[in-house]
Amino acid sequence: MNVRFLSIFLAMVFFLIVIDLVCREKLTFKYAAGWLSVTVLGILLAVFDKFLSGFASHLGFELTSNFIFFIVSCGLIFLSLVLTIFLCQQNNRNDRMAQKIGLLENEIEDIKKQIPG
Amino acid sequence: MSFPKILVILPAYNECRNVGQTVRELKSLDFFFEILVIDDGSKDTTAQEASAAGAAVISLPFNLGIGGAVQTGFLYALRHGYDIAVQVDGDGQHDAQYLKTILAPVLSGDADIVVGSRFVGPFLGWRSSPVRRVGIYFFAWLISGLTGFRVTDPTSGFRAFNAPVIKAFAENYPQDFPEPESIMSAKRLGFRLIEVPVQMRKRAHGHSSIRYFQTLYYMIKVTIAILLSMLKKEMKK
Repeated sequence: MNVRFLSIFLAMVFFLIVIDLVCREKLTFKYAAGWLSVTVLGILLAVFDKFLSGFASHLGFELTSNFIFFIVSCGLIFLSLVLTIFLCQQNNRNDRMAQKIGLLENEIEDIKKQIPG
Repeated sequence: MSFPKILVILPAYNECRNVGQTVRELKSLDFFFEILVIDDGSKDTTAQEASAAGAAVISLPFNLGIGGAVQTGFLYALRHGYDIAVQVDGDGQHDAQYLKTILAPVLSGDADIVVGSRFVGPFLGWRSSPVRRVGIYFFAWLISGLTGFRVTDPTSGFRAFNAPVIKAFAENYPQDFPEPESIMSAKRLGFRLIEVPVQMRKRAHGHSSIRYFQTLYYMIKVTIAILLSMLKKEMKK
C-alpha cells in the first residue's frame, strides 16, 4: 500500500515539475505533453495495480517489478534513440546555418568593396 | 562556348603556414580560375594569410570538418554559376601543376568527377606512410568492388567536379568521411568518375587531421560508413 502511495506521490510531483517548467518557459508544450502523459500513465498504473500485475504474469514475468524494469528500460533506450535523431537533425541545421553565414559574410564583404569611399 | 568558369575550393583548418604558399602556387599557373579558401573555423590567421595571397575567403563561424567546408565551396560555386569546381587541400600536399591534369577529363566531358590518384603510375611523389597505404589499398579494393569504378586512391582530396555534380553535392554531401563516401554518392547519382595520376608532397608544416594511432579505428568506422551508404536510397539526378 505504501509503495502505491509513494508511486502516486512521485508521479504527481513529477507532473507539477513539468507544469512549472512549462509555465517558466523552460519547456515547450510540444515536449512537455509526452512527459505529462507518462506521469498520468504512472498514476493510473499505481491505482489499477491489479491490471499491471495481471498483464505482467500474462506475458510470463514472474515478478511485476521485473516487468516494470523491462518496460522502463526499453522506453529509455527508445527515448535515447529519438534524442540522437533529434541531435543529428539539429547538428545538420547548425552546419547549414554556419555555411550560410559564411556565404553571406563573404557576399557582404564583396558588396562593401564595390561601394566607393 | 566561352572558356568555363573554374573555381578552386581550398578547405583549410589552422593552416596559416601552408595556405598562403598554396594560393600563390595556384596563382602562378598560366590559365584563369578563381580561388576560394574555406577557413573552417581556424583559430590562427588562415583567413588573413589566404586573403593576403589574393584568394576569396569564406570564414565559417566554427569548425564543420572537411565535408562541411567543401560543401560550402559547392554552395558558393552554385550561387556564382561556376562550371567546374576543383578541390585542393589547403595543407600544401597537392601540387598545383597537376591542376590541368585533373581538369582535362572534366573539360573534355569525359568524366563528371576526376580524382587525382597517387597510385596510378608513374610513382615519383610522396605516397603516404606505409600503415596508411594499407588502409588506402583496402578502401580502394572495397569501393572499387562496390561501385565498379576503378578507384586506387579513395582518400585523395584532389578532385574536379562539373556543374551537375556541384549542384548535387551543394544539396547533399557526406559529412563524416567525405572523400570515400562521396565516391559512393557519385555512383548512386549516376555520375562518371575517373582517376588521373598525380603526385603529392609530404605536408610542409603541421599534422594531418588523421593521426597514426587512430588509423585502425578510422578504418573500421569508414568501412561501416561505406557499407551503410550502399543502403541509402537512390537519389535523383
